[in-house]
Amino acid sequence: MSPSVRYLLNRLGFYLIAAWAAITLNFFIPRMMPGDPASIMFANFRGKLKPEALEALKQTFGITDAPIFSQYLDYITHLFKGDLGVSIAYFPQPVSSVVISGLAWTLFLVGISLILSFAIGTIIGMYIAWNRDGKLDSILPPGFALLSAFPYFFTAMILLYVFGFKYGWFPIRHAYSSNITPEFSIPFIMSALYHVFLPACTLVFMGIGGWMLAMRNSMITTISTDYISFAKARGLSERRIMFYYAAKNAILPIITSFGMAIGFALNGAILTEIIFSYPGQGYILFEAVKSQDFQLMQGIFLTITLSVLAANWIIDILVLALDPRTRK
Amino acid sequence: MNRNWLSRLCNNSKSRIGISIVSFFIIIAIIGPFFFPEPNAYVDAPLLEPSLEHIFGTTGQGQDVLAQTIAGSRSTLFIGLSAGMLVVFLGLLIGSIAGYFGGRADDLLSLLINVFLLMPGLPLMVIIAAWLPPGPYSILSVLVFTGWAWNARVLRSQVLSLRQRDYVFAAIINGESNMRVIIYEIWPKMISLITSSFIGATIYTIGAQVGLEFLGLGDVNKVTWGNNLYWATNDLALLTGSWWTYVPTGLCIALVSFGMTLINYGIDEISNPRLLSERLVKEKYPFIFNRNGSTPVVRTSPSE
Amino acid sequence: MNKVLEVKNLSVDFLMDSGSFKAVDHVSFDIHKNETFGLVGESGSGKSTIVKTILRILPAPGVITNGQILYNKDDILSMDESSMASLRWKSISIVKQKALNSLNPLLKIKNQIMDTIQSHISISKIDVMSRCNELMDMVGLDQSYLNSFPHELSGGMRQRVVIAIALALQPDLIIMDEPTTALDVVSEKEIILKILELKKKLGFSILFITHDLELILEFADRVGVMRYGKLVDVDSSKVIKSGGNHEYSKKLINSIPRLEAGKDTNKDVMFDPIITVTGLTKIFQKHSSLFSSKGEQVLNDISFDLNKNEIIGLVGESGSGKSTIAKILTKLLKYEGGRVEFNGVNLSDIKGKESLLKFRKTIQMVFQDPFASLNSIHTVYSILSRSILIHRSLSNLSKRERKKAIEKEMLSILSEVGLSPPETFIYKFPHEMSGGERQRISLARALIANPQVIIADEPTSMLDMSVRMDILDLFMKLKKDKKISIIFITHDIASACYISDRIIILKKGKIVDSGPSDEIINNPGHSYSKLLIDSCESGWYTKQ
Repeated sequence: MSPSVRYLLNRLGFYLIAAWAAITLNFFIPRMMPGDPASIMFANFRGKLKPEALEALKQTFGITDAPIFSQYLDYITHLFKGDLGVSIAYFPQPVSSVVISGLAWTLFLVGISLILSFAIGTIIGMYIAWNRDGKLDSILPPGFALLSAFPYFFTAMILLYVFGFKYGWFPIRHAYSSNITPEFSIPFIMSALYHVFLPACTLVFMGIGGWMLAMRNSMITTISTDYISFAKARGLSERRIMFYYAAKNAILPIITSFGMAIGFALNGAILTEIIFSYPGQGYILFEAVKSQDFQLMQGIFLTITLSVLAANWIIDILVLALDPRTRK
Repeated sequence: MNRNWLSRLCNNSKSRIGISIVSFFIIIAIIGPFFFPEPNAYVDAPLLEPSLEHIFGTTGQGQDVLAQTIAGSRSTLFIGLSAGMLVVFLGLLIGSIAGYFGGRADDLLSLLINVFLLMPGLPLMVIIAAWLPPGPYSILSVLVFTGWAWNARVLRSQVLSLRQRDYVFAAIINGESNMRVIIYEIWPKMISLITSSFIGATIYTIGAQVGLEFLGLGDVNKVTWGNNLYWATNDLALLTGSWWTYVPTGLCIALVSFGMTLINYGIDEISNPRLLSERLVKEKYPFIFNRNGSTPVVRTSPSE
Repeated sequence: MNKVLEVKNLSVDFLMDSGSFKAVDHVSFDIHKNETFGLVGESGSGKSTIVKTILRILPAPGVITNGQILYNKDDILSMDESSMASLRWKSISIVKQKALNSLNPLLKIKNQIMDTIQSHISISKIDVMSRCNELMDMVGLDQSYLNSFPHELSGGMRQRVVIAIALALQPDLIIMDEPTTALDVVSEKEIILKILELKKKLGFSILFITHDLELILEFADRVGVMRYGKLVDVDSSKVIKSGGNHEYSKKLINSIPRLEAGKDTNKDVMFDPIITVTGLTKIFQKHSSLFSSKGEQVLNDISFDLNKNEIIGLVGESGSGKSTIAKILTKLLKYEGGRVEFNGVNLSDIKGKESLLKFRKTIQMVFQDPFASLNSIHTVYSILSRSILIHRSLSNLSKRERKKAIEKEMLSILSEVGLSPPETFIYKFPHEMSGGERQRISLARALIANPQVIIADEPTSMLDMSVRMDILDLFMKLKKDKKISIIFITHDIASACYISDRIIILKKGKIVDSGPSDEIINNPGHSYSKLLIDSCESGWYTKQ
């Protein structure tokens, strides 16, 4: 087994442990809270539920009088069968189908925003690190810092209000126009892009600052290494040093942190989707909270966690491919 | 040397601005509510635009926005700072144990840290907060539970590298107990990092707190910045175009976070000796200084 | 004679918060064609600064404040950026210390050589490749390594690549800035011989910077001696070797330890072992994960004794395992096999607070790096008082009495290690003292515990040559006056012989030779010992 494969299997093992931890947390959280979950829900519905419905809920929750361990086993079996329960907010749809529909849209939104903010942020970061302490360096980092200091949903609200409401340049809700059928056609894709524009802008504006700062700091550290001063001594052109010697090395640790960044981007995406009524995971989570739909909430938590883990593993593969040192 | 560090921080322009902003809000949080004892009181017709009478206008329930904003600062900042401190303290403790003792303890703790880091923060916070009874302690626990891992990792790697210094070995060989070594030899070298971690943690806790309250998971009857925004959305601020119900609070949140970020920039700048060196040359010889070019020649005496 | 480089009255300042610091003070010297010129000085003397100034790659906060550097009658200090760019490498190139880090980890070797060539001359791809091949041959490296990444080559090989890059454009002058400091003595000699062979073949001048006077006198034509930014002496090697024209040169010459057993060695050694090591093995576990656990055998079946009143020299290159032995003996590291006994007690049996403290009183250590062994945030007072509190029973005294006792003890120990007047040192911070003074403080800290054994891990290798002998003499005095046994760890067999009664030679984790110092020198039992001794002897270059 080559060391690279061994390394990837190692990481996979770690992600499986994390997945197990998430699943188990999911199981225990409702059971650790004061009072039993079903009664909490019952109280929350303020008597709008018939007793039979309550029993059915308890069943799907797996809250029986059986010992905890067998409840746990039931829960795991249900999970592997893809049965996450029935949603209340989107009654009578099963949680699994609700969750899948949201996943695609969130991936679309987060994917576009991450790639854009990463690309723009790192390029800007590279330039201001090279010309550090210059005019741009004094303005841009604090400027973007101010921008990202606003809560995500706040920026989303402003953008929505100004460009959606007041000027009407962009739609103010949903992922695509209601008069187009969702299929792989040009009008659909155009509509999707049109609708994702403002939410994506929100995420990109908020995200650029982070990448820019990370790249800037990484570049500054890289620039003070011996091989950069040796490159300068050899008379290599500034351009070549900046790109092939400095940036190429500086970007590696950034990519490694991409996995972590996905987590943060997701947080922002959730809040942004809510404002724009964009039917992704975040919006669904919000609906679930509003309707006290615990099954759905937990279903969303699981899918988000599993997607993040999968994405991280893909990043690990990417880093391995890019850094020759890890291939040793 | 610590005194020197503090004075350099105060001299740095970025951190000076940051410190002033944050101090301003802290002062408001402490004495402000005395001037506005009843922020939830009905003062006038709902959704009035800002005027001389009500500088920030009124909310959808006829409350004074200025009063709400000022009153909200106390709860948000207090919980934010306390959670920030708890997060850093927990992270420092766990990170130090993992980094100092190594071996099995480190393997286990690192696994724990990495698992927590990977789990998406907001969804986790949401489901925990949804189950917990609303109140400040719930928010505090949720924030600390989801936020400690980041600092633990950062602080751990610093402890790990300091652990291998000769002076640490020398102290151990001389007979010092492990606890003394950690507290007196290692932690003092981490002041910069601990401070910036605390500030970063507080930025996080304020943002997360606001986010949770915005979703309605806080105690909606208390006056906090997050709740202000929750009620503003509930009262259809967007659709009625009543921007004044949420902009002031949003601005305050942003300014506090921004101020803290500036302080961290300052810490960063004074901790990096190369930036300092370059700035010294640039200040004295601004016209000749070329950051990426050849060493400058400045003749102070005639050559022979 | 044609002059390649003329340095006239060069001055360089370093700007600081509070004023500026003169790193180079009106230095003048010339380098002739085809000459090997050595620039010698201790750390901080300014020699590295001069080198970076010649190519004007000195980073901030350095500024050049005076002088001229003439290359073929053009003043480098008046050149604009484009002339500088073409001067660099085509006319003057540089090989730096620790070349291990001079190469971009993400580019293949061939790309880095090609980079250099292509940024100066426009040349076809085929020609560039053949030049690369040529260069690899010149430095004695297999051409297949052109397609490797830097981390796939050993330290010595990377150094050769850097030399190849330096030669790429056939410069007139190659500057070598302590190019062999990080290498072991054997590789060091190999590299130098190779460079000199190339110099003869291709015809270029060399400016060789080093702190090792002994080394440079072997092969340089002329030598310049620097101190505190000034050039105090410059003359032919022959003259410098016999003491030079300045008292500082004379002092440096005299501080080179001769390869002969010290006069006080092998006296009063009692054959009563304090430490007995039998069959010690240590394996370093590379961080094991779920699927792999590779180990590196760092120590293999080590056995030796340390007697009362004895100094043993543990000699070996970096990576031979000598520091590992030190860390195992002080219980900083665990070991996998074998047995270590302290006064009859097994080392692994020493557990628990009390016995551990007792153990700490028997063995102490002094480290290699004077800058790293004292925590910069503590004053001498806080460092030493901690040691006093731990090792002297002062708990039944009142607070005031305790303070007095601490001070008294501190002053006495400071005088013992040769710091006088002792009162002036008590409230100093580490950065306010010189390297030699810091080592003495570390020694003081160790002595307070009244140990039976002191391990000195390369205590002088990072000190200036002029203070080394003093520290070595201090160790010998401690053995004589306080009857402390010492394990002296070093890579320099000459200084080991100077103070040790017995010598143990270590190679790659195994003991290859051991015996009394004079025997080792005159009758080395192993080829490796012979190798070490030979590379110490003067005249190794002229013998070639």
